[in-house]
Amino acid sequence: MSYKMPMGPYHPALEEPYKLEMICEGETVCEAKLHIGFNFRGIEHLAETRNHIQVIALMERVCGICSNIHTLTLCQAMEELTGLQPPPRALYIRVVMAELERLHSHVLWAGIAAKLMGFKTMFMECFALREKVMDVLQAISGNRVNYSMNRIGGVNRDISDSWSILVMVESLEREILDTIVPIFTTSRTAQSRCAGIGILSHEKAVSCGVVGPTARASGVPQDLRRDAPYAAYSEMKFNVPVEEAGDVRARLLVRALEMIESCSILHQALAKMPTGPIHTGDAKIAFSAGTAVSRVEAPRGEVVYSVAWKENSRNPARVHVRTPTYVTMPAIRWMVVGSRLADTPLIQASIDPCYSCTDR
Amino acid sequence: MSVTDEQTSVLDEVSRELGIENRWVEHGRVSWLATDKLKVREVAFAMKARAARFVTITATELPGTEGFLLEYLWDLKGRLLGFPFHVTDNSIESIYDICEASDWIEREIHEGYALEIVGREYEPLLLRARDKPGVNLREGVK
Repeated sequence: MSYKMPMGPYHPALEEPYKLEMICEGETVCEAKLHIGFNFRGIEHLAETRNHIQVIALMERVCGICSNIHTLTLCQAMEELTGLQPPPRALYIRVVMAELERLHSHVLWAGIAAKLMGFKTMFMECFALREKVMDVLQAISGNRVNYSMNRIGGVNRDISDSWSILVMVESLEREILDTIVPIFTTSRTAQSRCAGIGILSHEKAVSCGVVGPTARASGVPQDLRRDAPYAAYSEMKFNVPVEEAGDVRARLLVRALEMIESCSILHQALAKMPTGPIHTGDAKIAFSAGTAVSRVEAPRGEVVYSVAWKENSRNPARVHVRTPTYVTMPAIRWMVVGSRLADTPLIQASIDPCYSCTDR
Repeated sequence: MSVTDEQTSVLDEVSRELGIENRWVEHGRVSWLATDKLKVREVAFAMKARAARFVTITATELPGTEGFLLEYLWDLKGRLLGFPFHVTDNSIESIYDICEASDWIEREIHEGYALEIVGREYEPLLLRARDKPGVNLREGVK
């Protein structure tokens, strides 16, 4: 006899509210439906009532983890509409912030995944490391969550002492290489809890249009940093880790390997950072009418901003945000089918869902 | 980001396949193909045949009684392709049966602007369950 089992909207396994409604036979999930909207804030509508400075502060609050990525994507779109090209140093600083944010996001996710695996020691390790990543972000921006780094035509704060930041990054890298990566790639706990569960096939990943580490763990080799480079990524050398298995372990491995690549990019960006101004100045900004689309490889995958401006308008006519979780989350219903009920918290967490991003 | 020769030839192939003589216009990091002759489902079939990835649909309400602008974005080998559709009769055909990835954004547009997405099963609202379509973004709906 089948029965209905809801997970959420408020559940210990969920970082934020959403609802996974499962039809089960015994311990096996046969069918699943998703319900979102519990964090809906009407941010796209609100953006139409904000000017070009206020809208940056607003969009920084779409997501608490990748706040920098949202302003970067928005500013890139607005730079298209204003014709302003950020100076080279600003582009490097944007890369540094984006990679630190990726490290922060992946370490946070690893901690939550460890908690859901029942691996409490690892959870503590990850959250201790996350603090250190946030310390670096704070050293650069003065902030730990909403960094206020991006502006139209560049960045707000310089990295005055690249070498001291580099030393902090090297310390992070050592901890990641010595602790996080070995445990996640070799420990029996991670192996037994993650291997073979929550499989998203390559075909289904393509069909659902999933992005980011979830796509790369299903053998879809896409990464905007390489495929459509922005900021200073065209000047960085890095690998795009891809796994074929499509299970939770593959998502774990992809993120672990991405942390190593992020450290490599941080090294390059900090060592090669050009001198010069960090923004184009404070002259009055003029927007041309039309639509500009910008996209960035956030920690969870592709973020897309479509920004439309009318002639002589103070405010955007439309700001549409397509976040990575918005396209990755629908795939959860395919991942959980056939799995054990007890595995579903970890499976749904394996896409690193951001519910606030999704609802906006 | 400039368009490479390879990308240009692919874009030309796409417009030929769609029977469109108009040129692609590069604007705001997107290659746009804008013409009234485009059919949303034909575009979806052409994109799917080339293994393009569906990205999103941006809906914008136009002033007065001009209707809506729906901009479909696809990623073809790292290049964003844009297909704008001017909707005047409050409805557009669904591409959900061709492209599974369009599911949630079609539902969101129906919810946000009360546009009818024709040819797909009607589903409950995505973001504001038990509210009425159009309440989020359409002018005049409260």
